[in-house]
Amino acid sequence: MRNIFKLTGLICLLATTMAHAAHTEAKLVLATAAARPGDMIWAGVDLKMDAGWHTYWKNAGAAGLPTKIEWQLPPGVTAGEIEWPLPQIIPPTEVITYGYEHEVVLLVPLTLATNLNPGPLVLKADVSWLECKEQCVPGSAKVEATLNIGSETKISANAAMIESWRGRVPKAGNIFPFRAAWEKPATGDMRPLLLVLPVFEHDKWPPITGANFFPDASDEFEVQAAAEMISNPSVEFEFRKLVKKFSGDWPKQISGVMVIERNGNREGYEVKLPVSGQAPAIAGTSSATALPSQSLWKMLVYAFIGGLILNLMPCVLPVIALKILGFVNESKSEPLHIRAMGLVYAVGVLVSFLALAAVVISIKAAGHQAGWGMQFGNPVFLACLTVLVTLVALNLFGVFEVTISGRALDAAGTLASKSGAAGAFFNGVLATALATPCTAPFLSIALGFAFAQSAAFIVLIFLAVGAGLAAPYVVLSWNPAWLKFLPKPGAWMEKFKIAMGFPMLATTAWLFNLASGSYGKNVLWLGLFLVVMALAAWIFGEFFQRGRKRRGIALAITLVLLIGGYAYALENQLRWRETVAETATTGSLKESPDGIDWQPWSPEAVAKARSGGRPVLVDFTADWCLTCQVNKKTSIEISSVRAKLKELDAVALLCDYTRTPSNILTELKRFDRAGVPLVLVYPKAAAEPPIVLPEVLTPGIVLDALDRAAH
Amino acid sequence: MKKLSILLTAMVFAAATFAVEIGKPAPDFTGTDINGKTVKLSDYKGKIVVIESYNSDCPFCMNHYTTGAMQELQRNLAAKDVVWLIVDSVNKKNPSYRTPEQARKELADQKITATAWIDDHSGDIGHLYGMKTTPHMFVIAKDGTLAYDGAIDNRPQPFGDPRTAKNYVSAAVDELLAGKPVTVSQNKPYGCGVHYAN
Repeated sequence: MRNIFKLTGLICLLATTMAHAAHTEAKLVLATAAARPGDMIWAGVDLKMDAGWHTYWKNAGAAGLPTKIEWQLPPGVTAGEIEWPLPQIIPPTEVITYGYEHEVVLLVPLTLATNLNPGPLVLKADVSWLECKEQCVPGSAKVEATLNIGSETKISANAAMIESWRGRVPKAGNIFPFRAAWEKPATGDMRPLLLVLPVFEHDKWPPITGANFFPDASDEFEVQAAAEMISNPSVEFEFRKLVKKFSGDWPKQISGVMVIERNGNREGYEVKLPVSGQAPAIAGTSSATALPSQSLWKMLVYAFIGGLILNLMPCVLPVIALKILGFVNESKSEPLHIRAMGLVYAVGVLVSFLALAAVVISIKAAGHQAGWGMQFGNPVFLACLTVLVTLVALNLFGVFEVTISGRALDAAGTLASKSGAAGAFFNGVLATALATPCTAPFLSIALGFAFAQSAAFIVLIFLAVGAGLAAPYVVLSWNPAWLKFLPKPGAWMEKFKIAMGFPMLATTAWLFNLASGSYGKNVLWLGLFLVVMALAAWIFGEFFQRGRKRRGIALAITLVLLIGGYAYALENQLRWRETVAETATTGSLKESPDGIDWQPWSPEAVAKARSGGRPVLVDFTADWCLTCQVNKKTSIEISSVRAKLKELDAVALLCDYTRTPSNILTELKRFDRAGVPLVLVYPKAAAEPPIVLPEVLTPGIVLDALDRAAH
Repeated sequence: MKKLSILLTAMVFAAATFAVEIGKPAPDFTGTDINGKTVKLSDYKGKIVVIESYNSDCPFCMNHYTTGAMQELQRNLAAKDVVWLIVDSVNKKNPSYRTPEQARKELADQKITATAWIDDHSGDIGHLYGMKTTPHMFVIAKDGTLAYDGAIDNRPQPFGDPRTAKNYVSAAVDELLAGKPVTVSQNKPYGCGVHYAN
């Protein structure tokens, strides 16, 4: 009798559960009807909800419960994690949740062991969920499906349906350069977070009409669902979310799905974003005001040290030759005069850096992106610098003099100090111009920071770099004691000066090569112009400056040669001021038959390689970036790295910054860099963030990073 | 018009930023209970107050009551002179709304021993405290400051025995009574979304 009561109770309980949970229907579907041992097949739990009812995503949001699948699988079959299609936002605004209405197929990869016996296999699972409309009801179902193990793989009638749901699963790999940053300090346990997508190849993508971020669930904090779009024309989109902290520190990283709407479609991208301490730069001047002063001081110190190290980078070496000559020149002068020269040199450097800062600020104000060394992507700048450096070499060779009294090396007094000042100032300008294609350790951090700040910070950081660059000379010129180590001035100096012309000439050759990248074969006309200019310089020096008779004719010939050469070679033939169309590169960028098989970089190429489970090496480089070239020769394009890349089946992607396309600048900014070099190694595991290598590489650093990426 | 809507959104954000906060005075409210009596939070100053966001049709709440775990907690805390306020913010159009008569019957049937069951169908108290789910629990210290805001326990399931879970409310009350700082003062509440009026 008691048992009958129990039974009746059980039936009643079952009946109520069934009645209540009738709003969602669950079944198990397989993409394959038959499979071979060792295959990976896709299973889907298909949930169909009645109108108005919904079930939940892996992070249910402010309320609700994620759907759970508990498998009962025969031996030899293992289930992976659920892959969740992109959910939708479910109101009301006070309690926003993430879930699915009408239908969803939760996808699970099933791996079949290689030793499975042929025949039918029954796959079972207990599915439980919470379904809600005006009320919430827990639901559950036992589902099953049969899979035939045999010698061939056959798709099932559900294959297309499962495939289309797989297309709705957020894509892995950071295709878009999203950024996250705290907008300001916390108010209690709430803190506003800004999520930004910087400008991203406008012409190639349909305009983005909406965006949101669906966070992964966390016990320590909650990224709240409400999103407030911020109208900011200088970025693709920007929106604000509130983060509520429950315990621990403010998160350093947020993960989840970034949702983009365009063309009437929603696309999801899995992201893991580091949360930077201050607002992203692109937002403009207003957001940079809340910058903590402590980090500014740190960045100023970095900028100074970076400038100091810049003296040792390959770009500035030719100028060092000039400086050595300058010091020898001055060694016999008054200590006071030497100090003055040191300071004038520093002023030359600082003024040049101010000019650079002004250019960067104006470019940013115009809504474009600025990068360190970007002027080297401009052929007009390259042509001018080539001409300038050639003239410096010719001057060192003694073909002509820059100053009237320059040849009178022993002349002292006010005149010499004046002309010496002009020379020292010019040295400072030249050192800066030649320093820009290099970045140095510390410098890249400071510049990456500076490019993201308001005008005042850019000026401060640039001045700090300039101060660092000039500091060794100012310090040396301040202490006359060291001058004793220099040889006595004399006739040898004229020979030394000529010898110093050769490093300068080497710089000309390098710049000429860079210019050829923009002008192609026509660069010949630039070369011919350099020859005509050299001839003009010789006539000027020999017959005007040092000549006694008919100096007017010499000057006239000089001008005719210069103007004629310019008009014919540069304007008429080279058309040097016209921008040259970029040539698209596709296919392998191998440098030698047994070299690394470089492929052109694109965000899509990175995502593709990572979805194939392969580690990726990305080299952001430029022809004019000497640090990059040195890195490549010593630590990347070497046999041990080639062998390691082959061994790990890694993909090597080359990104040429030579002509600074904006999407590369965007990518560099993601890693807080203002310019190249930037070498990244993406780990095999697609969820892991890339390893950022330091600016100056050794083979050990590259090999070690590749090894870590493969595990 | 666009500017106005931006301003309004900004205000919503500002309001959300200044919701209840741990360690700050819990905002006072006045409500009417199911017997028509006026209930004022500040009347209970000097006592520990537990607030429960309630909807017995929600399977999470239902499980706490059908297993008797919630009533047990209410009795235990009442013995420690703790006030327990049920706040029911379900709107009048929702099938889970209880008229005062239905609520009085439910209170008796379920043997609920709360100090008061406040009918908050306007959602005013729920919004004031940022109640997200049922059950969403709050503990207010004797000095009127908020000591706990979050889930009832660490077991977000509509089935099984809640007594096997770590109950955050009873832990917070015990720590307050012992004069100790509350170890877990905040976490994410679980449950069904509160069915507020539109």
